[in-house]
Amino acid sequence: MKKNIKIITKHWGKINPLRIEEYLKEGGYKALEKFIFQMRPEEAIQEIEASNLCGRGGAGFPTGKKLKMVAERKEKEKYFICNLDESEPGTYKDRMIVKNNPQLLLEGLIISALTVGASKAFIYLNGNYEEEKYILEKALAQAEKEKFLGEKILSSGYNLELKLFFGAGAYICGEETALINSIEGKRGEPRMRPPYPTEKGLWEKPTAVNNAETIANIPWIILEGGKKFATIGAECSPGTKLYILSGAINNPGVFEAPTGITVRQLIKEIGGGIPKGKKFWFAQIGGASGVLAIGKDLDAELTFSKNCLIPLGSGSVLVIDKSVEIYDLLFSWSDFFRRESCGKCLPCREGTFRLNEIIQRFEDGKISQRDKKALGQILWSLENTAFCPFGKFVAKPFQDALERLDIFKNV
Amino acid sequence: MKTTEKILLNYDPEKENLLPVLKEISSFFGFISEKNAQKIADYFSLSLSQIFETASFYDFLKVKNSPQIFIKICSGTVCATIGTRKIIKEIENKLKIKIGDDFNPRIKLETASCLGHCGEGPIVIVNGQVYKKVTVSSIHEILEKYV
Ligand SMILES: Cc1cc2nc3c(=O)[nH]c(=O)nc-3n(C[C@H](O)[C@H](O)[C@H](O)COP(=O)(O)O)c2cc1C
Ligand code: SF4
Repeated sequence: MKKNIKIITKHWGKINPLRIEEYLKEGGYKALEKFIFQMRPEEAIQEIEASNLCGRGGAGFPTGKKLKMVAERKEKEKYFICNLDESEPGTYKDRMIVKNNPQLLLEGLIISALTVGASKAFIYLNGNYEEEKYILEKALAQAEKEKFLGEKILSSGYNLELKLFFGAGAYICGEETALINSIEGKRGEPRMRPPYPTEKGLWEKPTAVNNAETIANIPWIILEGGKKFATIGAECSPGTKLYILSGAINNPGVFEAPTGITVRQLIKEIGGGIPKGKKFWFAQIGGASGVLAIGKDLDAELTFSKNCLIPLGSGSVLVIDKSVEIYDLLFSWSDFFRRESCGKCLPCREGTFRLNEIIQRFEDGKISQRDKKALGQILWSLENTAFCPFGKFVAKPFQDALERLDIFKNV
Repeated sequence: MKTTEKILLNYDPEKENLLPVLKEISSFFGFISEKNAQKIADYFSLSLSQIFETASFYDFLKVKNSPQIFIKICSGTVCATIGTRKIIKEIENKLKIKIGDDFNPRIKLETASCLGHCGEGPIVIVNGQVYKKVTVSSIHEILEKYV
């Protein structure tokens, strides 16, 4: 495994994010030039398909396939949206991309938008990201001045308008159909699928929504070729990934490493291990809705594949040591889910509320038989009947806590 | 002086500008009054109910004036594992309120998602003022300043 390959973080800390000149000096926008002067859009999409790049927003959908679906639509009006809503607790990788190298993101975004034939693109930015907004506004203006954006890009026939859209504090707007509703000025509630956004997205027109990290891989793939990308990391979902390490770990932060790495390697080799005096209990992988990996899972490879024991999700790794009170954590999760449930469907609106209520009644692991039964029923309903994936997200950590950590064994 | 009309004229009346307009008006006036909502509705050629439908959804948009004392406490994983629940109990007992309730029109206590001050928690915010490393005893001194 090539451990040191850096695709996204290569220039982090070495260039000034507010000056496009520094990115250009490092070979920036060479991929856009190659795309415009040497490739047809279909060829670029073929390259991306060959790379086997899959979405870094959590679901892992093949990016080339998505772009192709939108590119093949006959409609004149199409859209491309970069999902930078990032509001998963403990996840701040997309924000770091903006802070360290916003032009890489823009370059990837421009190429992706042009491959699908979009005439307008959006960046949907988390409403709390004020500093990142400032950086992106500057970056956009500079890219436009260099003619990488706007009309007649690099004097070619390509045009692209790019607009920054600022969120208004709703976690669910990270879900792509809710995000689209939000841009349309509606409540940010998820839509029924199908139709998928690739057929009827923004303003009912074909729309590709991609995560910021996904997009940041595109320039490398265009320059180095899809085949080469496919050899990095795990075969089923190749490439590198940004991992966010937090909790009981010596070096917390955002790090780039290949997919297919194990939790043990992440904690030991990249995170510098667990602080002295603390004992590992479990690690939550992929945000508030993530799987709880216990001792025996530490050597499983992290990938986006559905068959994988521990899905990568957003790439966050929260290490919990034995001194942590599990009821504090359950409270934190249930409180987050209750606040962020969009309220569209009953199992989730009511379920998250009751879940939070029951968990607030826990004191030192005491739970009544009645609450225990209700808990099981609520989790089942969330898992099986909620309208959007959020419901399943809610159920996951609680089911894991019940099954894997066996928190009620004394009841 | 900035007025509702002036804010509106900075935007084209296209639906993708509705959320940005609501945000600006809400933060400028503190909340979106019915009078202003009607002006927005007219400008975008939407109904008043459509404006409130959107405005009532987002955290950043307020449709009511804030209570005199508005307390937020972070329940993110880091803060939660170092004392959030105990501090909530302390506030509830002292002010005779319940978290999330609207019964007391003057005082409101809510939980908030992680605000990025993780190393310095537990975090309590009263009327916009951020208090760090709050404890079950220091919360009393903080609240004394407001009640
Ligand atoms: C509740 C929920 C929240 C989500 N939040 C985000 C998010 O913050 N950022 C993101 O990129 N994708 C998020 N997604 C995934 C998006 O719906 C979508 O799959 C993704 O943006 C597609 O991009 P990708 O293929 O590049 O991963 C979320 C999904 C759900 C169900
Ligand atoms: S599952 Fe929750 S977030 Fe999803 S539509 Fe239903 S209420 Fe909304």
